[in-house]
Amino acid sequence: MNGWLERRGMRPVDVPIWIGGMLVALVWSAPFVWMVSTSLKFPSDVLTASIEWIPRRFTIDNYVKVFEFPIVRWTLNSLIQAVTSTALCVFFGAMAGFALARFHFPGRATIFLVFLASLMVPVEVTVIPMLLAFIKIGWASTYQALILPTIANVFSVYIFRQFFLSFPRELEEAARLDGAGPFRLFLLIALPLARAPAIAASVIIFTLNWNNFLWPLLVTFDESMKTMPVGIAAFAPVVGTHTQLEGYSVAMAGVTVLSLPSLVLFFLLQKYFIQGISQGGIKQ
Amino acid sequence: MRPRGVIVTLISATSPAAARRSAQGERAPIDWIGYVFIAFFALPFLLFNVAPVFFGTYVAFTEWRIIGTPEWIGLENFREAFDDEWVWLAFRNVVLYAVIIVPGVTILGLGFALFVNQGYPLSGLARTLFFAPNVVSATVIGLVWVWILDTQFGLLNNVLGSVGISPVPWLTSADWSLVGVSIASIWWDLGLAFVLLLAALQDIPRDLVEAAKVDGAGPFSRLWHVILPQLRPVLSMVITLQLISTLRIFSQVYVMTNGGPAGSSSSPIHYMYTVAIVRNLYGYASALAIMLFVVILLVTVVQRFLLKEAR
Repeated sequence: MNGWLERRGMRPVDVPIWIGGMLVALVWSAPFVWMVSTSLKFPSDVLTASIEWIPRRFTIDNYVKVFEFPIVRWTLNSLIQAVTSTALCVFFGAMAGFALARFHFPGRATIFLVFLASLMVPVEVTVIPMLLAFIKIGWASTYQALILPTIANVFSVYIFRQFFLSFPRELEEAARLDGAGPFRLFLLIALPLARAPAIAASVIIFTLNWNNFLWPLLVTFDESMKTMPVGIAAFAPVVGTHTQLEGYSVAMAGVTVLSLPSLVLFFLLQKYFIQGISQGGIKQ
Repeated sequence: MRPRGVIVTLISATSPAAARRSAQGERAPIDWIGYVFIAFFALPFLLFNVAPVFFGTYVAFTEWRIIGTPEWIGLENFREAFDDEWVWLAFRNVVLYAVIIVPGVTILGLGFALFVNQGYPLSGLARTLFFAPNVVSATVIGLVWVWILDTQFGLLNNVLGSVGISPVPWLTSADWSLVGVSIASIWWDLGLAFVLLLAALQDIPRDLVEAAKVDGAGPFSRLWHVILPQLRPVLSMVITLQLISTLRIFSQVYVMTNGGPAGSSSSPIHYMYTVAIVRNLYGYASALAIMLFVVILLVTVVQRFLLKEAR
C-alpha cells in the first residue's frame, strides 16, 4: 500500500483529500449522468419517490419522440451556421493575425487595440439594432442573418497573432528569397505550420457557434429556421403544470442529442480547448 | 508571472511604455499588403461589431416600433427606464446574481484547481469532469437543471430530503427562483475560472512552494502567503470576467424561469428581450442595453482602479 502511494508521490495524509476531491468531481458530473439516465426511462418511471440512477427498464422511445420535432432541420441549420461561420472566422482571423504579427504598416498597433477594445462591448448591446437592420432589409430568418454577425470573433485574430509573433523569421525570409509573394507565404508556409492555433480556434469558435442562443432566438421567426439550442429550449416543461411534467424524459433526450457534438468534440480535443481558453480567457 | 488573456494584453498594450515601444518601431519598409490581409476580417468586424453600437445608440434616442418610422424623442427612453419598476427589479436581481455566482465560481474554481494541481492519480479525469459543463449550451444547462430542481421529484430536493430538509421550491417561488438559476449558472460557468486558475497554478515556480515547505509553513500558510499572492493577477481577471458575464446573464434565465415568478429571476438583458420581442419597443430596448453597457464599463474601470490601488 505504502509502495503504491510512494510511486505516485503521495503520502497517507493525501489519501482522504484525493478520495474527497474525486467524489466532488463525480458529483459535478452527476447532472450529465442524470440527463442520460432520464432520457432512457419510460415517462411513467421518471417521477419516482426515490432516485433511480439506472433505469429499471430501458427505452429509446423518447429519442423517437424527439425526432417528431423538426430536429433534423434544426441540426442542419445549426451545422450550416456553425461550420460556415467558424471556417470564415478562423481563416480571416488567421490572415489578420498574421498581418498584425509579421507585416509592418502604419496603424498596426491601433488596429489590434481596436479589436481588443471591442471585447469590452457586450454582444447584447449590438443585437437589437442588428435585428432592426436585418428585419428592414428583409433578411430575418435567413442563413445570412444567422451567419454574418458571428464571423468577426476577435478571439481568432488574437490566438493567431500570439502564435505568429514567435514564428521563425528565417522561414519567411527563405520564402521571400524564393520569390514567394505574401499570399503564397501565408497560404503555403505560415498556415500549414499554424495547426495548433487553428485547431484551438476552430473547436472553441465552433462550440461557441453551436451553443449560441440570444442571436438565433431573436432573428429566427420561422420554426424551420431555428437552430438546435433555440428549438430544443421549447421542450422546457412549463414549470408547475403537471401534464408537462411527463415531458422530462423527452426533454432530457432532446438535450442529450444537443450536447453530444460539443461534449464529443471536447473529449477528443480537450488539450486544444483548455490551452486555447486559458490563453484567450474568453467567455461566450 | 506571465500575464494571460486578452484583458491583460489590452491593459499592457494601452500602457505608455507600449506606445513608446511601437513609436520607436523598426524602420522596415511598409508592407501595404497588410491592410488587404486585415480587410477580410475588418469588414465584417466594422459592419457587425462596430456599426451596431453606433446605430444602437441612435435607436436608444428614438421611439421605434418595427412598423412605421423612428421618432426622435431625446432622453425620453432613459427617463422612462428610471421610472420603470421592472428595470429596478432587473438591476437589483443582477446584483444578487453577481453576489451569489461570482464568489461561488471563484471559490469553487480555486478549490478544484488546487486539487487538480496536486497531480494525484486520475486528476486528468477530474479536470475533464470539472470543465465539461462549460462546453454545452444554455438550453442543456437550463433543461437539465429545471429537472434537477423540480420541487416534488427533483434530484436535489430528493438528496436534501434524505438529510431531513423539506422540499425547496427552487424555481417556482419568488423567494428561491434566483438562487435556483444561480446554482445552474455556477455549474455552467465554473469551467473557465477553473482552467484559468489551474494554468496560473502550474506557472508558480516549484522552488517557491518548496522553500516555504522547508521553512516549515503548513498547507494553509503556504496557500495564504505563497500561492494566493502569486495568483492575484489571474484571480482578479477571473473575477472581472465572471462579473461581466453575470451582468449579462440571459439564456439560462430565459430557459429555466423566463424571468419569473413575477419577475423575481429576471435580469436586465431578459427585460430588454421582453421589451423588444413582446412589447415591440425597440428604442426602449436599445436604451436598456446602453444602460447595462455603461454599468459594465463602470465596473471594469472601478475594478482596474482598485487593482492599481492595492498594488
